[in-house]
Amino acid sequence: MLRSNSEDLIRKVIARFVDQEVIPVAEEHDRKGEFPVELFQKLGSMGVFGIRYPKSIGGSGGNTTLYCIIAEELARGLLSLAGTTAMQCLMGTDGLYRFGTKDMHETFLKPALRGKKIGAFQLTEPEAGSDLGNVRTTAVQDGDSFVINGMKTWSTSGPIADFHTVLCQTNPDKGLKGLMFFFVPSDIPGFSHSKRFETLGTRTTLLSEIYFNNCRVPSEYRLGQEGKGLKVLLSILAEIRAMTGALALGLLRAAMDASLRYAKERIQFGKPIGKNQLVQSKIAKMAVDLEASRLMVYNTARMIDSNESCLHQATMTKYFATEAACRATDEATRIFGGYGYSMEYPVQRYYRDSRFLLYGGGVHEVLQTNIAKHYGL
Amino acid sequence: MKIIVLIKQVPDTTEIKLDPKTGNLLREGVPSIINPDDRHALEAALRLKEAHGGRVAVLSMGPQQAIDAVSEALGMGADEGVLLSDSAFAGSDTWATSFTLSRAIRKMDGFDLILCGRQAIDGDTAQVGPQLAEILDLPQVTAVCGISSFEPGASGRSQVLRRVRGGYQRLNCTLPALFTVVSEINTPRCPHMERLLRACKTKTAIKHWNCADLGLKTQEVGLAESLTQVITTFPPKTRRKSEILEGDPRSVAGQLVDRLQDNKLI
Ligand SMILES: Cc1cc2nc3c(=O)[nH]c(=O)nc-3n(C[C@H](O)[C@H](O)[C@H](O)COP(=O)(O)OP(=O)(O)OC[C@H]3O[C@@H](n4cnc5c(N)ncnc54)[C@H](O)[C@@H]3O)c2cc1C
Repeated sequence: MLRSNSEDLIRKVIARFVDQEVIPVAEEHDRKGEFPVELFQKLGSMGVFGIRYPKSIGGSGGNTTLYCIIAEELARGLLSLAGTTAMQCLMGTDGLYRFGTKDMHETFLKPALRGKKIGAFQLTEPEAGSDLGNVRTTAVQDGDSFVINGMKTWSTSGPIADFHTVLCQTNPDKGLKGLMFFFVPSDIPGFSHSKRFETLGTRTTLLSEIYFNNCRVPSEYRLGQEGKGLKVLLSILAEIRAMTGALALGLLRAAMDASLRYAKERIQFGKPIGKNQLVQSKIAKMAVDLEASRLMVYNTARMIDSNESCLHQATMTKYFATEAACRATDEATRIFGGYGYSMEYPVQRYYRDSRFLLYGGGVHEVLQTNIAKHYGL
Repeated sequence: MKIIVLIKQVPDTTEIKLDPKTGNLLREGVPSIINPDDRHALEAALRLKEAHGGRVAVLSMGPQQAIDAVSEALGMGADEGVLLSDSAFAGSDTWATSFTLSRAIRKMDGFDLILCGRQAIDGDTAQVGPQLAEILDLPQVTAVCGISSFEPGASGRSQVLRRVRGGYQRLNCTLPALFTVVSEINTPRCPHMERLLRACKTKTAIKHWNCADLGLKTQEVGLAESLTQVITTFPPKTRRKSEILEGDPRSVAGQLVDRLQDNKLI
């Protein structure tokens, strides 16, 4: 029976959205450093945020592969929009989806999947970056509620989020084994945030510190069992890394497309600069990196979709694709010569934005250690 | 209430590139899209459905890849789709296309309104809508840019705004009818992921009809039945003549204005 291929169709629809609606405004949003509300809401109305959730809770009934396709295409247009979309599709809403009550789904999850509410995800603290065992935000039981105290930092969408998935310590003696996630709406007493951070890239993503001062939440706002915070995180870690790989893949494509176009157009010494072997070498390396990243991202996504354990593959994917994107965005600024340094061309934005991919989902020094551990080291 | 929307899949470019040797369209690397005016027609249909209830069906004739246009229309909110695809349809001119579409519409059960885009960006003829209305013996309004009232039913009627040279016409029209729409009528919505995924499933409401399904013989359709035959297609020869205006800025500006006026550009 003649039917469209869902992956091709969704890629085509999102690619068109990116070409027509994202790319024309990307530079301006980046320059102003403002959150692109309109684009975000449009993605909500298209059912993008629900792509990996089932229809029964207002999702679109897709899977991780489709989600990576969307992430890749969006990243090609504006990495920070793709990053906030990832937050909304995955880290910012997954705990709420898996552990939230029906009421919480109605009040928070369903509106979030339509882009009407924004979710955020809080692991990092000033003293707990890669070292999550050092999380000091505490949640203490008091009757049938919990009282949360502490602070988080580097919160994507922190200043504008309506609710937060927060990693807390319920038993400080237990380190990693005392961790537990809690759901915290922004409008409860004791919740506040800092001013937004100034950052090098992904400037339409709003980041801030988050403060909890005796924030009282009911016990149904526990997301997962006591002491199982790390397990909850591990259950989506492969997906977080595959998604970060997909973001890197999209950015790499943008850098390569721009480089290729410029290498063909720019004439020096009477010929296009792309006729020089050293420029060809740069393009060839980008092409190989692109192909390898693509194979890794979609192989990992397919493993996730078929419930195979693949944290190792996901870790290698995030590491490789991100390094490849950083190489490509760097080379792009060289192919553009002085114009790569000009704010008039988007390659400077690709270069600045690429650095964001190095940290979220695990810093590369730690990831390399994880990869080596897989081989018994 | 039922509305049928005619959609065509076209290459996504207004600068069509032609093979200089064969004159054929160069489609490589050019993605296919729903013809822009048709997207506005579908949006108009979906809004009428939201206001009055009923169903929206899309109908497309094209190669098998045009299934994507039908799926995308379902993703935007159409309830059902029909794709007419058969190698015998190849080479149809506007007449053969209108004729084939009319047979498909007769096979679909009833309608209150047929909506088409005014013209397709590849062929640019704006003929299919009007021809189809003639074959089906329907009242037609072309270049519709607003539908101010819509009352379907036994003695159905609608009031529409039509764009004409230098202004607008307000018209009453009995239903069923055929309207062709222009882009200023609305802003089309984006497709929804869940609906798109549903459109790709085997049990989705998309029918795929060939020549025999329409009760037609292969010699009654396509190139054989076309009243016109394209001999060659070729890009226009553009000849550019450049002229450097000289003098101080004030006199150059004056000369420029004169040239623009002489050429009726301002
Ligand atoms: C744009 C952006 C958005 C972010 N959004 C969020 C968010 O929404 N929520 C959230 O919780 N966090 C977020 N983060 C924080 C991010 O997850 C952390 O930056 C990351 O976990 C690393 O922590 P750190 O920056 O404290 O680095 P550290 O852990 O202090 O590491 C610094 C460096 O030390 C070295 N190092 C550390 N540990 C090891 C080791 N074991 N082996 C070898 N070398 C090591 C590495 O070189 C590493 O790069 C975001 C960060 C950025 C930049």
